[in-house]
Amino acid sequence: MSAPNSLRISHVGLRGIVGSGLHASHVLDFASAFGTFLETPGAVVIGRDPRASGVMIREGVVAALLACGRDVVDLGVVSTPVIQHNIRRLEAAGGISIGASHNAAEWNALKFFGRNGTYLSTAEAGELLDIYHLRKFQFATYDRLGSLRRLEDGVDWYLDRLAEVYDFQALQGIRVLADCTNGTSSLLLRRIRERFGMDIHLINAAMEGVEFAHPPSTTAKMVALQLAPLVTLVGAGAGFLFDVDSDRVAIATEQGEAVSEEMVLPLLADHVLPRSEGKLVIANLSSTALLDEVAARHGGRVLRAPVGRQAAMDALASYRPEQISLAGEGTGAVMLPQFRFIYDGIASMLGIVAMMKERGRKLSEIIHSYPRYSMLKAEVPLESTLVPDLLMELRQAYPDGTANIADGLRIDWPGRWFHIRVSQTEPIVRVICEQKGEPPQKLFDDVLEHVRRMA
Amino acid sequence: MIPREHKLKIGVSGIRGEVGEFLTPSLACGFAQAFGTYVGAGRVVLGRDTRASGEMIQHAVCCGLLASGCEVVQVGILPTPTIQVYVGAAGSRGGIAITASHNPPEYNALKLFNRHGLFLNHYERSELIDLYHQSDFEHADNARIRRIVSDVETPKRLHFERVLHFVDVERIRKRRFRVALDGVNGAGSLLSIEFLRDRLGCDLHPIAVDPSKPFPREAEPRADTLGELSALVRRERCDVGFGQDPDGDRLAIADETGRVIDNDDVLALVVDSVLRRLSGDVVVNLTTSSAIDDVASAHGRRVYRTPVGEANVVERMRAVKAVIGGEGSNGGIIFPAVQYCRDSYTGMAFILDLMASDGEPFSAMAGRLPRYWRLSGKMDFEHGRLGMLMQNIEEALLAPVIDRSDGLKLIWPDGWIHVRASNTEPVLRMAVEAKNEARLRQLHDRLRQFWG
Repeated sequence: MSAPNSLRISHVGLRGIVGSGLHASHVLDFASAFGTFLETPGAVVIGRDPRASGVMIREGVVAALLACGRDVVDLGVVSTPVIQHNIRRLEAAGGISIGASHNAAEWNALKFFGRNGTYLSTAEAGELLDIYHLRKFQFATYDRLGSLRRLEDGVDWYLDRLAEVYDFQALQGIRVLADCTNGTSSLLLRRIRERFGMDIHLINAAMEGVEFAHPPSTTAKMVALQLAPLVTLVGAGAGFLFDVDSDRVAIATEQGEAVSEEMVLPLLADHVLPRSEGKLVIANLSSTALLDEVAARHGGRVLRAPVGRQAAMDALASYRPEQISLAGEGTGAVMLPQFRFIYDGIASMLGIVAMMKERGRKLSEIIHSYPRYSMLKAEVPLESTLVPDLLMELRQAYPDGTANIADGLRIDWPGRWFHIRVSQTEPIVRVICEQKGEPPQKLFDDVLEHVRRMA
Repeated sequence: MIPREHKLKIGVSGIRGEVGEFLTPSLACGFAQAFGTYVGAGRVVLGRDTRASGEMIQHAVCCGLLASGCEVVQVGILPTPTIQVYVGAAGSRGGIAITASHNPPEYNALKLFNRHGLFLNHYERSELIDLYHQSDFEHADNARIRRIVSDVETPKRLHFERVLHFVDVERIRKRRFRVALDGVNGAGSLLSIEFLRDRLGCDLHPIAVDPSKPFPREAEPRADTLGELSALVRRERCDVGFGQDPDGDRLAIADETGRVIDNDDVLALVVDSVLRRLSGDVVVNLTTSSAIDDVASAHGRRVYRTPVGEANVVERMRAVKAVIGGEGSNGGIIFPAVQYCRDSYTGMAFILDLMASDGEPFSAMAGRLPRYWRLSGKMDFEHGRLGMLMQNIEEALLAPVIDRSDGLKLIWPDGWIHVRASNTEPVLRMAVEAKNEARLRQLHDRLRQFWG
């Protein structure tokens, strides 16, 4: 059943299994801390994914924000990017997204946004955490409480922003099949179909609160489960799999191949870099090296941050907007230059369709035009106390490579690298190994052997 | 200035406090989660009065109820008696009304009802507070979290149907009474207009019936807070004026001259009206006027007396199957055939019915009641001195009959004194009643000497 200690309170917010880890009281306190933390005037924009527990959490969030004297604008069930765009629209003080994204249905989480819909910086998130731990909240007196209103056209406003970047007319003619994982992408894609006449077919399109048709992760394995076999059947030019809150996406070709989730970022980089002023690509230490090769073709450069959204946000915040081209993770979450700080699976989908249109080629042809990179991944349980020794040992075992210790240990050789890091959520270490061409089986086995001897 | 320790009360009477620093959303949510755990996963009805903090507290309570696995039935802004009628009829596990009743606007509180729509009794309340302190709440997982539904029409319909069943609606409508109403911008504002104008055919002159506005006067309806109503009655030459509290359980009445009638006399009139057509005994609290005894005995009926507090009166009414009851001192009329709760709508309907049947001006009807002289007030007392003070009063005044079931009540054949510590404030409440003014002065003076 549910894991004990599922509650995780960190710089990226609050996450846990509702009932056994994440309780109403955590929600009230954390939202009260956020209401106390916000300094700029303005409302707070909220929205949620379709999980059943989302209503309970919304009620707690609304109560806490009203108590802090904040007006609340509730967008209802929407994706995280819709919330971020509407924070900008309303010149709100911030926002909260209620939803556990790629986690299973029993999870839920709160993500916090500041002005302009940006994720909180590490410094800001640290201050929020301190207020939460102190539990000294600034509640307004009875005559200065906030009030709640519903905003019904949040999705349309968001789609208008997408339409400023993508010419939907030009995207006609390619049939798209989407696996919505019973999440918010279904409502966005239906509306795109209605308003812009894109040829979109949906599966797992009913928004569900309790049971999803399959786990909501955007991996090639999940693409292969239902989406990929159906792409050829409906004659679609491309298949897209979304997680529940639509910030991540994975792809299938018109041939019914499930493409590795690692491909989304290089694909979009190839499309975006030539037309963007900025040439920096922000990725993490575990993302594919194909990205470096693609970036180099367009005079771009890849900046690798530690794994996790917070590190990416801090990296993003340290450059001027015009210096950055795009940012993303190997999980299929990508930020396009026009939508700073917004990881958006729908925008990524439109980018890929636009790329197909522009090149006039099939998705499988585009995918196979890149050199082959092979990646191997594993997880090994290991006590945290042993981690420093393990990293030291590995570094000594591979003295000829270039070491990077920003997040665990990554060692690079030309055309080959491995990265070993500790999970932030479980007592395991993750090993990732990549090589241009054939799978780096020997290196992978050697590294794993070191880890297993230690464990 | 209310001392800090009295700005939040969590105890057997539930949770009540000043919104902001004291009554926080987390406390409201936690208490609601304890309540949801106590009544069990099922439907719980949730409504509120019009005070500004109602919306915030409603979301906090809703969160706590959902977290405990309950389904929440939102009924919106409604009088407490209307909510209680609905809870009893809706097949729910219980209900919560968010209201601090007659307390000032900066306060809010939760009134908690069991599945019959009754206030939790003393034993239920102490179980709930223990459960709250243990913090061992039910935490529903995603699959067991239920939804919020809303039903804003049924409660009103049920309540009106029940009340109007017991009066002669046609006879009242024919009279087309000129009625003044002060709704204190409370939960009853809109309902009262519909009730009096549309259902009972009154020529209605309402003030303070905008639920979106703050309370325009002190929330408790009393002679000294209902000046606007009195003036309205005189200006519009009304037959009667009704003053409600923010959650519509209390009622005060002005006669056709604008004079606000003693709540004890209002209760006596309603008791008389009920006993004329229904048979059964009467239950009131210790502080209620002896006029009730006179009225009841004229009908050959018995009066039972209980400690002050609606829950106490209701409990006894159920035990003795009383036909009518209430708390004269604070304008509460309890008519079980509608619901075991204080209900200003039952009060208004019965008074109009009485006026329609007797055909007399209100002042004349009130004037025919047995005449008693009354005084009431409150005094500070030092902590730890209460027992001694009570004992001194008892020994010095030497009354023939003594009732110690709620503070101290000293009873003579021609008058009585009742002294008790308030449940909600750090004060001693005292009430004195006598058959003539001289005796009243005498009893009152003898009581006052204990405060130098």
